[in-house]
Formats: sequence, structure tokens, C-alpha cells
Amino acid sequence: MGHPVTTNPLIIMLINMTVVFIVLICLMYMIKLIHIVDPTKPKEEPAPAAPAAPVPAPVPEPEPEPVVEEGIPAEVVAAIAAAVASCGASGEIRAIRPVNRDGWKQSGRMGGLNLG
Amino acid sequence: MELFNAFVVSLQSVWNDSGFAAFTAGNGIMILVGLALLYLAIVKEFEPLLLGPIAFGCVLANLPCTGFFDEMGVMMAIHYGIANEIFPPLIFLGIGAMTDFGPLLARPYTLLLGAAAQIGVFVALAGAMIMGFTVQEAAAIGIIGGADGPTSIYLSIKLAPHLLGAIAVAAYSYMSLVPLIQPPVMMLLTSKKEREIAMEQLRPVTRFERVVFPIVATIFISLLLPSIAALLGCLMLGNLFRESGVMDRLSDTAQNALCNMVTIFLATGTGMTMSAEDFLVPQTLMIIGLGLVAFIGGTAGGLILGKIMSKFSGGKINPLIGSAGVSAVPMAARVSQMVGMKAKPGNYLLMHAMGPNVAGVIGTAVAAGTMLAMLK
Repeated sequence: MGHPVTTNPLIIMLINMTVVFIVLICLMYMIKLIHIVDPTKPKEEPAPAAPAAPVPAPVPEPEPEPVVEEGIPAEVVAAIAAAVASCGASGEIRAIRPVNRDGWKQSGRMGGLNLG
Repeated sequence: MELFNAFVVSLQSVWNDSGFAAFTAGNGIMILVGLALLYLAIVKEFEPLLLGPIAFGCVLANLPCTGFFDEMGVMMAIHYGIANEIFPPLIFLGIGAMTDFGPLLARPYTLLLGAAAQIGVFVALAGAMIMGFTVQEAAAIGIIGGADGPTSIYLSIKLAPHLLGAIAVAAYSYMSLVPLIQPPVMMLLTSKKEREIAMEQLRPVTRFERVVFPIVATIFISLLLPSIAALLGCLMLGNLFRESGVMDRLSDTAQNALCNMVTIFLATGTGMTMSAEDFLVPQTLMIIGLGLVAFIGGTAGGLILGKIMSKFSGGKINPLIGSAGVSAVPMAARVSQMVGMKAKPGNYLLMHAMGPNVAGVIGTAVAAGTMLAMLK
């Protein structure tokens, strides 16, 4: 073990707390910089313009019912719809149908796992 | 008669080679300590996953004539993993894979709370030096205040390996006692009005931010403090497994199978350092006392900065999240949530407190790296 820089606890405390704060403040600015340069962040909504004359609200068109293949119970449809909504997806469910899992596709998936 | 003599000699030989013949009062006391810790782990459920193997390791370490460390075997291999700083970084890999850095990325200023909570480390360091410990021993004791088991073990191996058992036990015991130690300090240092502050929803954090942060943080901190590159690198690598979205199998292994295995080795090996001759010394009591001071100091440091930030933000920050700056992920954040809910039912502080909590892990590692650079 080498010789310590200092053995004064007050100096050790001051130096260490200064280093800890500086490092974490640098990290704080790095996080802000990452947020600024983030190319994937959602564009901010432009500020609302001056209030225009009130436009009559359009009558919403009835949403089309998703096409659900035969044999899929209503609970499964509800569960899928809830899962999609909880992910924050803004679109709509057009159709729900079971994936056609034939032998070749299944074999390809197992191969992709590379368990060997 | 010859048969009888042979029988007696054999029995005598078995007795002389047995642990009973070499058993000391110290061994007996330490086995009782181990059993008490087992009771806390199994009956009281205080951090059972850690305290359980630590306690059992303590019992094993005090069985004489086992020859665990005479030649290479499983116990020596476990000890090798501790003595050569292999297990703490691997635990950090699992912690990184389990921890959501999102709250920290959404509110980067909570890093300051993680920094303020490190004050407890240096209060304990000063106390230890006043009590006669060397500066290296005092630094290893002080880091208990960071409430970060792997970092405490990492630093004590480097600066004061002979104190490893007492430091590890103090660190993990206080971590398990966070729900008992922190609330009185939180109630003392905050007003009811402050505890009732409801914080705004966190902004959504993109995948880009989640992936870039661990990479940037590793490069920056490891360049500045290379001595903690293994610890911090593993923490951030684990988090990258989690956030990349393309390494799910590695993330799953790091946060479950690997983390559980290393926990068994690290905790059992730590318990194995609690032999009577190393543990039954006055310094152990001092270390346990100083650990408590460090913990309370760290909690108070985070809370005081939380109060200051609350004032400057116009009452938008609940100072209770400051106490989570003492690592102990996610226990300290849960305590902030618990105390906040007690003051105002429906006031959910958990996610807000996770920011300082993660910052505390990074802050403790930085404090450990700085002390290594200064004192080793």
C-alpha cells in the first residue's frame, strides 16, 4: 500500500465531496446533452396560435370493428386490445388472427435461438 | 484386552482430530452470532437472501479443523472470488440489469441528491480516525454509509482486508434495517407540509437516452477513476443488457441466474470471514457503531439537500426523495414512498425516489474510487 495523499479527515472529506459533486454534475449535463441530441425524441407540439373562430366539431366517424378470425374468444380480443393500449399505441386494431406456425417457420425460429 | 486398547486409542484419535477438541469459547460465541443472524434472516425476514448465507458462512467459519483454507476446494475458491474482487463487480452486473435508470434520466438533477447523501461516508471516516483507525481503515469503514454492500466489500478488500467481515456484516445489516433507521431521521428533518408534496409526473425517456447513458457514463467515469472501472463498468453493462432491447437473454441471466449464484458465493464467503479471532475484537463494535453514524449521516445529507431543492423549486420537490440517495436499491426508495404515503395517502414517490437511489449507487462508487486514488 502506497503513502496516502493526506490523513486529515476534513481535507479528505472536502476533496471527496467536491469530486463526487463534480462527477455527478458532469453526468447531469451529459444526460441533458443526450436528451438534446436525441434524434428519436418526439417533436414538441408548436405553441397554439391565436384563437381562431370556433369551428363546429366534426362528428366522429364510428370506428370500424376489428376483423377477428373465427375461434378467437372475446376475452383474448379484449386482452390484446388492452395490451396495445397500455403500450401507448395511437393506432387502431384492424384485425386479429392467429399466426400460421407451420413446421418450417418453427424450425427456423428454433435455429435462430442458437442454443447448441 | 488388545481389542479394547485399540478401540480406546481409535476413539481418542477421532476425538483429537475432531472439531470438539479444538473448539473455543470464541467459536461458540460466533456460532451464536451466526444463529442470531439466521433468526433475523429467516424469522424476521431482514434481507434473507443476503443475511442467510452470511449467517451460515459465519457458523461454518467457526467450526474448527475444517481446513477450508488449507488447500484449494470450494470454500477457498469462494474466498478467492472475494479476495480478488471478482464477486462485487458481478453483483453490480445484476444490479445494473435489474435497475431502471429512467427516473434518473428524466430528472438528472436528482444526481445531486445522490452526491449529498455521501456526506455520511466522510462523517464516519472522521469518526473512525478519531477512534484510532488508520486512514485506510477509516475509509473502508466510512463507505458503509453509502449503503452499498458490493462497494463496501470492494473498498475494504483494497484498503483494509482484515476488517472485511465486520464491514460487510455492518453494511448488509444496516441495509436490511433501512426501513427502521431512516424514517425517524426523515420525520425529524422534514415538516408534514414538505412530506405531503406531490411531485409532477416524470417525462417519458426514449430508448436512445437509455442506451447511450450507460455507455457515456462508463467511458467518462472510468477514464476519471480507473480503479472503479470494473464496478461501474459492470453496473452499466448490466443496464445496457436491459435497455438495448436486443440482449434480453443476457439481461435475464445477469439479473436472475448469475446474480443469484454470485450472491450465494459473495454472502457465504463474507460470512466465512467472520472467524472468532478476526471478529471478536473491540474494533468490530466500533465499526458497527460507526456504520450506524454513517447511515444516519447519509440519510440526513440527502434530506437536507432535498429540502434546499424543494425551497428553490417552489415546493415542487418532495425532500423525502433525498433520503433515497443512500444507494440501498430499491429499499431506500421504498422507504421514501412509505413515509410519503403515510403523510398523504395516494402520494406515490417511488419512481421519483428511484432517481436519487440510482444516483446514490453511482455516487458511492465515485466516492470509493476517489478514496482509492487518494489513500491506496
